[in-house]
Amino acid sequence: MTISGHSPDSSPGRPDETPDTETTLQEMVLESQDIAGFLTDLAVMAASRLSAPDNLVHCGVTVIRHKRPGTVASSDAKAHALDELQNGFGDGPCLAALRSRTPLLIPDLAGERRWKPYIRAAMAQGVASILAVPLDLAGEAEAVLNVYSGRSRGFSADDISTVEAFGGQAAGALRLVLRITQLSEARNDLATALQSRTVIDMAIGAIMAENRCSRDKAFSILTKASSTRNIKLREVAASVIASISGEKQIKTYFDE
Amino acid sequence: MPSDGQDYPNDADRLRRGAAQRFKEAELPLAKLWTYYYGIGGDLDEMSLDAYLHEALDIPAVQVTLVATAMAEMTEGDLL
Repeated sequence: MTISGHSPDSSPGRPDETPDTETTLQEMVLESQDIAGFLTDLAVMAASRLSAPDNLVHCGVTVIRHKRPGTVASSDAKAHALDELQNGFGDGPCLAALRSRTPLLIPDLAGERRWKPYIRAAMAQGVASILAVPLDLAGEAEAVLNVYSGRSRGFSADDISTVEAFGGQAAGALRLVLRITQLSEARNDLATALQSRTVIDMAIGAIMAENRCSRDKAFSILTKASSTRNIKLREVAASVIASISGEKQIKTYFDE
Repeated sequence: MPSDGQDYPNDADRLRRGAAQRFKEAELPLAKLWTYYYGIGGDLDEMSLDAYLHEALDIPAVQVTLVATAMAEMTEGDLL
């Protein structure tokens, strides 16, 4: 079942939840070490925010970047098992919500006819209703927040708009974390590249001198040595330098 | 049989097509590939690399080898 035409206006007004959620999310972004850690915090927070005394829910977040297998984080072992289960089947309500970019509610698993093997396995885990809300990350990646309840019809219309409002705030925080992670990854890659290029350029110069050849020829000698011996180009270059001067550590200073 | 004059371009075509194919299959982000390729001595800028990987540009033979080496070394870890 698909929900559309929700009313986001209904939740920002809640004085007890909204500002608190913003602040907590902001702190989580600042303290996050990596994506997986942030997502786990997010899932735990979602589960505690969305659970009611008479309706405990489990939460999971699945993120897909560069079309690679997703990062999965969960509020607890149960939600983790349920998310992994679905990713294992390669299909299910949460992945369907992710693909269609629309929230998806299964009010009662017993009455659901799609995704039979998954639904059966989820029911065996004690799940009776599922709500999956995709997080809009503006094309940077794709993510979905999965909420599992042990009660059938465990989500009222109010609950659904609460989850959607929470999903909207979480998406903003997640985009920040993704961007920070991406920038720091790019910085690390660049630092590695600078180190590597220094070693390679030095070895190329040495080969040019030794063989009285052009730079192109030196590169073809080096790449040939790398592919025939199945050793990385950088390592072959390092061994060339070591064989000349015995220097093993060539450092490139890179200002952080 | 192609004459010597045609032999080389055909080989370049084959290599370029192969590189484009591997790039698509590996699903490597372009920026990551470029950084790695730069790190092993590559001379092309990112836009030229992008054009080459979409079969829109011919590049010097040394760069062809370095692009292929970068892709091979980057995907090596995935297979383990």
